[in-house]
Amino acid sequence: MARQIRDWVSEWGELALDALREIWSHKLRSLLTLFGVVFGAASVVSMTSLSAALKTMAYDELSRMGMPHTFELIDRGPRADAERAADLRHVGLSIKDVRDLRNVRGVDAVYARDWSDARLVSTLLDQRVIPVEGVDVGYLSFRNYPIVRGRELVPLDIVNAARVVVIGEELVEPFFGTADPIGRTVTIDGLRFKVVGVVAPVELELVPADFSFLARRMYVPYTWVTQYHRGQQRVDQVFLKVADDADFPSVLESGRMYLKQRHLGADDFEVENSAADVAEDLAMADGILSGWNVVLFTIAGVTLIVGGIGLFSVLLISVRERVREIGIRAALGADDRSIRRLFLAESLTLALLGATVGLLGGTGLIKVTESIAQSFGREFTVPVNMPGAVMAIAFAILVGLLFGWYPASRAAKLDPIEAIREL
Amino acid sequence: MSLINAHGITKVYRLGRVDVPALRGVDVQVEQGEYVAITGPSGSGKSTLMHILGCLDSPSDGEYHLDGADISALRGRALARIRNQKVGFVFQTFNLMPRMTIDENVALPLQYRGGFSRRERLKRARALLERLGLGDRIGHRPDELSGGERQRVAVARSLVGEPAMLLVDEPTGNLDSKAGAEVLRTFREVHNAGNTIVMVTHDMHVAAEAQRSIHIADGKIAA
Repeated sequence: MARQIRDWVSEWGELALDALREIWSHKLRSLLTLFGVVFGAASVVSMTSLSAALKTMAYDELSRMGMPHTFELIDRGPRADAERAADLRHVGLSIKDVRDLRNVRGVDAVYARDWSDARLVSTLLDQRVIPVEGVDVGYLSFRNYPIVRGRELVPLDIVNAARVVVIGEELVEPFFGTADPIGRTVTIDGLRFKVVGVVAPVELELVPADFSFLARRMYVPYTWVTQYHRGQQRVDQVFLKVADDADFPSVLESGRMYLKQRHLGADDFEVENSAADVAEDLAMADGILSGWNVVLFTIAGVTLIVGGIGLFSVLLISVRERVREIGIRAALGADDRSIRRLFLAESLTLALLGATVGLLGGTGLIKVTESIAQSFGREFTVPVNMPGAVMAIAFAILVGLLFGWYPASRAAKLDPIEAIREL
Repeated sequence: MSLINAHGITKVYRLGRVDVPALRGVDVQVEQGEYVAITGPSGSGKSTLMHILGCLDSPSDGEYHLDGADISALRGRALARIRNQKVGFVFQTFNLMPRMTIDENVALPLQYRGGFSRRERLKRARALLERLGLGDRIGHRPDELSGGERQRVAVARSLVGEPAMLLVDEPTGNLDSKAGAEVLRTFREVHNAGNTIVMVTHDMHVAAEAQRSIHIADGKIAA
């Protein structure tokens, strides 16, 4: 078996070498023939790479703006239509719930949040009504909101319900002018807060979502909102980030059951599956991209087939030119199979040569695209898509076999006498 | 038994609706180690006879045994095999592959024989070229050689597979008299080494090299 494979490889290796010599002796003709295959292979590899890069980018952005592996528990206020006793006993989400939800199995992190209230905010320079949100340690990073200056809220801020604030980027100029806002003071509802950080909007290239509102908000410790401002233990919302390796639906269910038990069956909170929203967005992006892929592959496939037709006609010419050679080889003992192999090898070698040049060209095209994107200040890297490259090669082999078969068979069917008469 | 034993060989070509007989019952016998010339004017059928004796074509009728094998019934691949094993062709126009070196040219029949590695084939080819006095030309391409040298390369190619006979077609037709004489001397040496040669020619001086001549006219053997 191993010996057979070795013989086979050495035979086709020799055939390919002869074919290369033949191809090299018709440089211009081979070059023109190869254009189609080169373009085909180049477009397959660049299109698949580009499409894969766009997909990665879209996935990345959708995961950044959404909350994968996360579900929310939302406080539901007192209900006017409460009928059951349990509903009348409702207590809602509390700081204690937030603390204890960390113990639910499979939960990685818990972030509490109090929805924004419009509050009067002032400095010496300006005074405005601004939405102010109460958030947890690490909440801003969890949402991928970029901190452009200073820091975000730390555990001590939350524990102490400290009067510190992270402000939106667009609020720096009106409240502080050109001065550095970090360490300065703003007055919120008459209380002095120290500015510790500045947050900017999430930047997205592909996904058409507007996060500019982030730049017009302020973020304070939720514990301050809950304890000192609202004067009760209620929290509006809790995000539960589930561990990557945990079973998401069952963690969600045990979170719900845990809270329901603690609240003695009261129906005083809602569960929202944020991961499902992300999954839905990803599926939509997938749908759009696979639609694109169909178009791109059709273009690439048509180019390769056009290349194959070029190959076909050049091989027919080559067979005609080499009738004399076919006659000699027949006289020396070549049978129809050997003659067919001779021309199939030429066809395959041409196609593979074209595919190789195409792969290099496609890679070059990708690099050009990258550098153009970078010259516009976009960080856009496109890794060469390996399945695409393999597919381009496989397709070229297919084209070489498909369009080489008929000319090669025509050569093989030549009557040696007819061929030798050409001598 | 004779090396070549052809009996009642007939060949009829169909040209449109007309049957054109090229050979009308030819008997040829050649013994092992003989040097035979087949002569005749053009159109006499000697080329057709050469094609049949060389297993490039099959007779319409008649029996042909070459080196003990019955050839008359063989077609296609089987005939190609016989050609490869038993016949060494030398053509008027040399017919070397222009893009191969002469050693690769000489090695070509062994490629179709199968079972030889490339290295082995080239080794045999080079040994043969040395023997024919072309050792210093190894690695060159045919267009770098003189006509006489090219024809001697063709002789080496015909010998490399150790065939039962050499089938030679007008070997000096494209050569000047000096190169022609050189090539004929090579054939004499090859014959003296024990090889059977069948040479097709219309040149009486060339035919005189052979031990005997078979003269063909109008598709039959003339006395």
